[in-house]
Amino acid sequence: MKKERSKKYRALQSLRVVSQAAFFALFFYLLFKTHFTGQDYISRVEVFFHFDPLLAIATAIASRVLFASFILAAVTLVVTLVAGRFVCGWVCPLGSVHQFFSFVFKKAKLLKPRKEEKSAGSLAWKYYILIVVLVGSIFTVDLVGIADPLSFLYRSFVTGVIPWFARAGAAFIGLLYGLKLSSAGDATAQFFGTLSLNQTFQQGFFLSLLFLGAVLLNISKERFWCRYLCPAGALLGLFSRWNVAKVRVDMDKCIKCNLCTLHCQTQANPYPNEQWRSSECVYCYTCASICPTKAVYFPVKGTPEKIASVNLSRRRLIFTSALAVIAAPFFKITPAGKRAAAKLIRPPGALPEPKFLQKCVKCGECMKACPTNALQPALDEAGPEGIWTPVLKPRIGYCEYYCSLCTQVCPSGAIKELTIEEKVRVKIGSAWVNKDRCIPYALGRPCIVCEEHCPTSPKAIKFVMVETKLPDGTTATQKAPVIDLDLCIGCGVCENKCPVMDDPAIYCTSVGEDRSERNRLLLETIQPAGITEEPKDPYR
Amino acid sequence: MDRRDFIKNLAFGGVVLRCGPSLLAQAKPNPDLAMVTGESPAAITREALAALGGMKRFIAKGDKVMIKPNIGWDRTPELAATTNPEVVKTLVEISFEAGAKEVTVMDNTINQAQRCYARSGIAEAAKSAGAKVPFVNEYRLKKMALKGEWLKEWEVFTDFVEADKLINVPIAKHHSLSRLTIGMKNWLGAIGGARNQLHQKIDEAMVDLAAFFKPQLTVLDAYRILTRNGPQGGRTSDIKLQKTVVASIDPVAAETVAAGFFEIRPEELAYLGIAQKRGLGQTNLEKLTIEKRAV
Repeated sequence: MKKERSKKYRALQSLRVVSQAAFFALFFYLLFKTHFTGQDYISRVEVFFHFDPLLAIATAIASRVLFASFILAAVTLVVTLVAGRFVCGWVCPLGSVHQFFSFVFKKAKLLKPRKEEKSAGSLAWKYYILIVVLVGSIFTVDLVGIADPLSFLYRSFVTGVIPWFARAGAAFIGLLYGLKLSSAGDATAQFFGTLSLNQTFQQGFFLSLLFLGAVLLNISKERFWCRYLCPAGALLGLFSRWNVAKVRVDMDKCIKCNLCTLHCQTQANPYPNEQWRSSECVYCYTCASICPTKAVYFPVKGTPEKIASVNLSRRRLIFTSALAVIAAPFFKITPAGKRAAAKLIRPPGALPEPKFLQKCVKCGECMKACPTNALQPALDEAGPEGIWTPVLKPRIGYCEYYCSLCTQVCPSGAIKELTIEEKVRVKIGSAWVNKDRCIPYALGRPCIVCEEHCPTSPKAIKFVMVETKLPDGTTATQKAPVIDLDLCIGCGVCENKCPVMDDPAIYCTSVGEDRSERNRLLLETIQPAGITEEPKDPYR
Repeated sequence: MDRRDFIKNLAFGGVVLRCGPSLLAQAKPNPDLAMVTGESPAAITREALAALGGMKRFIAKGDKVMIKPNIGWDRTPELAATTNPEVVKTLVEISFEAGAKEVTVMDNTINQAQRCYARSGIAEAAKSAGAKVPFVNEYRLKKMALKGEWLKEWEVFTDFVEADKLINVPIAKHHSLSRLTIGMKNWLGAIGGARNQLHQKIDEAMVDLAAFFKPQLTVLDAYRILTRNGPQGGRTSDIKLQKTVVASIDPVAAETVAAGFFEIRPEELAYLGIAQKRGLGQTNLEKLTIEKRAV
């Protein structure tokens, strides 16, 4: 038999690589565009998420309502129904990351494809993960954001890869100056300035390690995440059983070399052909292009037929579902639902806490968009299910008055989209003065830096003349800050700029936030000043 | 001299100068301070520099010029928290016309730099006139001996020190601590470090910085001035239309004139007294030649 590899499938394989590169570039471009670029409003940089059916279904179940933008996920489902898991192989940017590193590890001989099929049973893991996520959604436990591939990818980039890039860039700039290449240093510094990359994240090290771990798993098995872990891939797998693009092996040409199955990226097993798993194939066309005799091909067949798929044991399915049902209430054993947490300041426009947790997919888009790096992934502030949801940390950044970017980029509607005019009226918390540490109150020296930075007009921080006994027995009289809670929006700039660095003498807590009916403070409070209205004016 | 007298003097001086013998203008020495009112920020800026004797008085051919406006806040020009972009743009233009090789416009902002640069309108305006508008770069911070009375040393952005000519372009605003924030306080935007600690002796800090930076020229934007809720404002009712630009070789005098817009006498401003004592300039306007014009 003449040995010749298929030109057609080699071309398709190249096309697939181009497609992966293009979609990854698009992901990267949209992510880097997710910041203030000179306009108050930015176009739909979060659009990738809306094509994710797992996020659409899980958040719809949890919140009992489908967020309208997720209608686009139907496109992915229809494509998968007709043509199989093309999206996993050709589009998914996380899939591309894993495939790229699998390729690298193969070339480095770290990853050696093995013949044995022992691990086939492990393919079922992702289906069990999917079940746990969906059962969790039924009980309004927000788990989808932890495991969803897009959430995982975005969160890892926002809190790990991009800060790494920014800090590596800073080190590089330092090196340029060290080498006396100051004009190159200037140019590089300005370039990074225009990107406005947030580079400080709590848990950033840990979240980076998780991503690194997911990448390193590819040393064990090609596309480890896609094969064994990805609940979105599992969901698409369930939808792909009836598709029309089936792999076929022409047994007249086949020399039984087993190369196709050996190099299959997702263990879909093209040979022996009757054991091919439609639900696992991502249409990378590695099998068809690696076949030395052009025996492997993908005919389009209109009729559905019974195809071998991943063996999901009924016992395990029931066991996993039961496990998820049993586990769900554990997530609710937390005071988070009982009483508002002082340090849980949510972004402006965030829905009331239970609704917020049902919808937030922990993707970190808001944290990328935040101009001051204020939004941080929560650890325990919002209870166990609230891990990695956005929380505003005034000591790291503050809510920029005329900015509503986080509300615009939220893919799931957990943060309601706000215009600038609406946003400046939203109260996310309240400021408090710690008189024991405040410079005028405690030390009798001038300061009121907080008043200078207060962005509302009239200012929510006013001052009173305060007498302070000094250590030498004399008395100092200074202007000292007092808060007008009718006007305070809780933006946190006062806490951020307070010169008492370690434990600021003015600080914000969540009490008084508009979104909560229970975490209120002043029932008769007037609307924050806003832009157009001219409220009562203490200066007249 | 009480406030009323002071304002009267200002007004009287203005009338005298306006009706003065223009034939002698050619022979007259250049004034110390020029004050121009008019509808267009660009036109009054241009006229103020012309009245001061032209930009060539300050800029030599091939100079690298640094223009320091106030871009501190994320506010649009009509809120008068940042220097008028038209004023900055015009200064960039005149600097090039006077032979400048390179003009840079920058500030160490308080709100996010990208937002301040864009929403103040200054970055776009200055760039359109050919200026470089870089963000401050922490690698260009250097601890320098300020040799001030209070501030002995501080981290300074070397861009402001290395320029051949330095033009301070503040806007006149209300401030709760120093009462006014104009040109001297504008230098807080040329330094790094823990700027929020300077409030503990704000008057001394302002003077020490002004003495260190010593600009060749101060061009004070008083087209819109912020009369309350300073230094950010937030409502158009916080501002007053003054439609004036003051250009001066004497930063203290420029500040004194601006104080008049707020009906504040110079002796009410502690930092002006300190500045005069340090020899940075003159609060007694009668000792200066002042040129007033309207466009």
